[in-house]
Amino acid sequence: MSPDFSNVSLVILFPFLGFLVQALFGKAIIDTLGTKIGRTVCGALAVLPIFASFLIGLGLTGQLANLGEESRSAIVTFFDWITLKSISIPFELRVDPLSMTMVLIITGIGSLIHLYAMGYMSDERDYARFFTYMNLFVTAMLILVLGNNLVLTFMGWEGVGLCSYLLIGFWYKDVANSKAANKAFIVNRIGDWGFTLGMFGIVVLMAANRGSLGITDSRWLSFDIILPYAHQILENHPAWATGIALLLFVGAMGKSAQYPLAIWLPDAMAGPTPVSALIHAATMVTSGIYLLTRMSEWFVASPLAMAVVAGVGALTALIGAITAFGQTDIKKVLAYSTVSQLGYMFIGCGVGAFYAGMFHVVTHAFFKALLFLGAGAVIHAMAHDQDMRNYGGLWKKVPITFWTMVAGWGAIAGIPWLFSGFWSKEAILGTAVNSENPYGFAGLTVGAWAGWVGFGVAFLTACYMTRMMILTFAGKEQRWRIAHAVEHAHDDHGHAHAADHHEDHAGHELSPIFFASTAEAEAEQLALQEDHHHHLDEHHEPHEVPPVMWMPLVVLAIFSLGWFGYLLYESPQFSLEHWLGFAHGHGEEGHHGPVSHTTLLLISAVTSLGGIALAFALYWKKLPEREGWDMAKWNPVQRFVGGRGIDITGFSLSVGNMLGSLSKAFDATIDFVVNGVGMVSKGLGGVGRLVQTGYVRAYALLMQIGVILLVGYVILTIMMRGMQ
Amino acid sequence: MIAFQVPVGYWLSLAVAMFAIGSAGVVIHRNPVVVFMCIELMLNSTNLAFLTMARYQITANQTDTLATQSSMHGQMMVIFVMAVAAAEVAVGLGIIMAIFRQRNQADVDDMSTMRL
Repeated sequence: MSPDFSNVSLVILFPFLGFLVQALFGKAIIDTLGTKIGRTVCGALAVLPIFASFLIGLGLTGQLANLGEESRSAIVTFFDWITLKSISIPFELRVDPLSMTMVLIITGIGSLIHLYAMGYMSDERDYARFFTYMNLFVTAMLILVLGNNLVLTFMGWEGVGLCSYLLIGFWYKDVANSKAANKAFIVNRIGDWGFTLGMFGIVVLMAANRGSLGITDSRWLSFDIILPYAHQILENHPAWATGIALLLFVGAMGKSAQYPLAIWLPDAMAGPTPVSALIHAATMVTSGIYLLTRMSEWFVASPLAMAVVAGVGALTALIGAITAFGQTDIKKVLAYSTVSQLGYMFIGCGVGAFYAGMFHVVTHAFFKALLFLGAGAVIHAMAHDQDMRNYGGLWKKVPITFWTMVAGWGAIAGIPWLFSGFWSKEAILGTAVNSENPYGFAGLTVGAWAGWVGFGVAFLTACYMTRMMILTFAGKEQRWRIAHAVEHAHDDHGHAHAADHHEDHAGHELSPIFFASTAEAEAEQLALQEDHHHHLDEHHEPHEVPPVMWMPLVVLAIFSLGWFGYLLYESPQFSLEHWLGFAHGHGEEGHHGPVSHTTLLLISAVTSLGGIALAFALYWKKLPEREGWDMAKWNPVQRFVGGRGIDITGFSLSVGNMLGSLSKAFDATIDFVVNGVGMVSKGLGGVGRLVQTGYVRAYALLMQIGVILLVGYVILTIMMRGMQ
Repeated sequence: MIAFQVPVGYWLSLAVAMFAIGSAGVVIHRNPVVVFMCIELMLNSTNLAFLTMARYQITANQTDTLATQSSMHGQMMVIFVMAVAAAEVAVGLGIIMAIFRQRNQADVDDMSTMRL
């Protein structure tokens, strides 16, 4: 008798109820209780459901951990959802280590981010709308990870896509934001194309083989059916294995921003900062990794697909890291570093160390959420200016933000032992450089190449993250004091303001049309009149964020420290490798390869400390020339990657063009078919029209001819019969 | 009983000839009145065929009461056809008159659409 896991429905239900409350009553609550209290209540009503889900998730995880290692998965079926003759897709949730790990990340970090957002968005007019989207997002993400079949996963997949669209375009009155939202949405649709085709392939393959495997169930897309049989089916169909794995990977590329589908993520920084933290650090972008890990049986069946995953991951990690150097917007740096870190996770999956990919998902969720929220706190302190060149010397002004962000910086830079990021990066790269795969070049397998590239990226990561920290917090100059004078002197800076400073309008949008009550609009009008601190000038004084915002930072910082990584990596009872059930599986293969553990550790220490040292050498003294306000004085490489150099000139553009011309050709084909059908019927009609003259005599003549033919035929038949 | 002096084939041939002349007239003429007359001719040719066969029934099977009775069917049909033809001409001529009043002429080809 296995324990009862039916509580799992509450995990999804609570955020969904939160969403309904926000959507239906949020504005009413704010209107009745007044702006200040109303917003607090409203925000609390958004945070509590997520936190309740987190507590339930903890309970379920505890129950799961008490079970034997082999029986740690339960399926809770609620109702028949889609039932066709040959396929049935029930609404069933899966409780197993992988899904519960994701649930804990989503609800745990999600509730912290919601809490933070209560403070960050407190000036926001559309307060309830924001939390409506956020709660719906969490609901969709939970469906994604808890669904026991690919269709439910896909439902959540589309749900998070929708919510990310809504949240990125949250300040919809700004055309640039709407464009960014559209970009995210459309690029994700390209990925979904792959996902759906992959699902289709799985159904076809499963249905075709049910006889030989003796499957009586017709739930072709449920994980408890497709995973156990994956190996048996795919060993005879290598081409199918590669095809399906690659199609699913295309889906993962879209959601997890891998090149060439990475173009949407940096633009998605147009949304509010908590959104960036929630979607682009902790949850949505990791769903690609989740999918790969969940479907790992289908990926390991195809070495080619694994090589592609690792290769694309390495490429993404490299390009993301290089591009981060050219950014002056603090959130853009973090966005590109997210792209880069996602590349790491795919390297992990591509070399068969799925647990390592998930491990990095877990640690990255903490430290990247921390970095994003910290960046948000800085932006908050600096009156919504996102340009790092205008910061400087902030560490004395915002000490809590600074020290918590140091933890995040240490984690992402991979400082040995002390921070969690080191452990997960080690797990990935250590497996990668020793991985085995028939595909490779120059004597190394693709996975090993990816691993070595990963070490290079680790060096770059340490360097550009240090650059970000130095530009933001260090330096004796308080650059915001001089920023105002320089602001209009240089074109690129003006441009940066126009393009990147979307966070600027919380206090400026005054139209009371949407969501805002009249009282609120009036309050805002007043606020604007005395809104002097909303611009950077010599009078600006950065201030530390309120407790509701720094408390999540502290929690996240504690989890970014090394003990957390150690716990998940080395300790016997909390090791993710054992917990996720990969310890006896295919994750093992790289552990005793040619590169020893000590060597790896040495390389790792050199890369991260070397990167940090280089950054200090380059950026410590004042504001270096290459970071000056005049981009023309930058070195050419940095200028090149500073715009979206690599995005535009690299793969994205060519792939974008290719997809564009493909879709044009497709469009033309469809047009040809549709018009062709029209033309055929028109031609046939034209023939008919010749007879439909409207002349009575012509009709009469036709009738006579008909009668003559008919009578002639009858007479002929009779005559023939007579002759026989 | 009146002897059937003219063979059946002659009568039928006459009916066929009348039908052919009538239908050719319908196709050729443009004056609706003449067309109507031609249609009348076709109807009459049919009537003639009916009558011929009715008489033929009686002469061929004089002893058979059933045949005598059923021969009446042909004659009844002729009366019906004449009645219907009369009604049709009455209506048709009315329409032709209306058209003529509107346009001062009545040509079937001009009426290639029902719109006036």
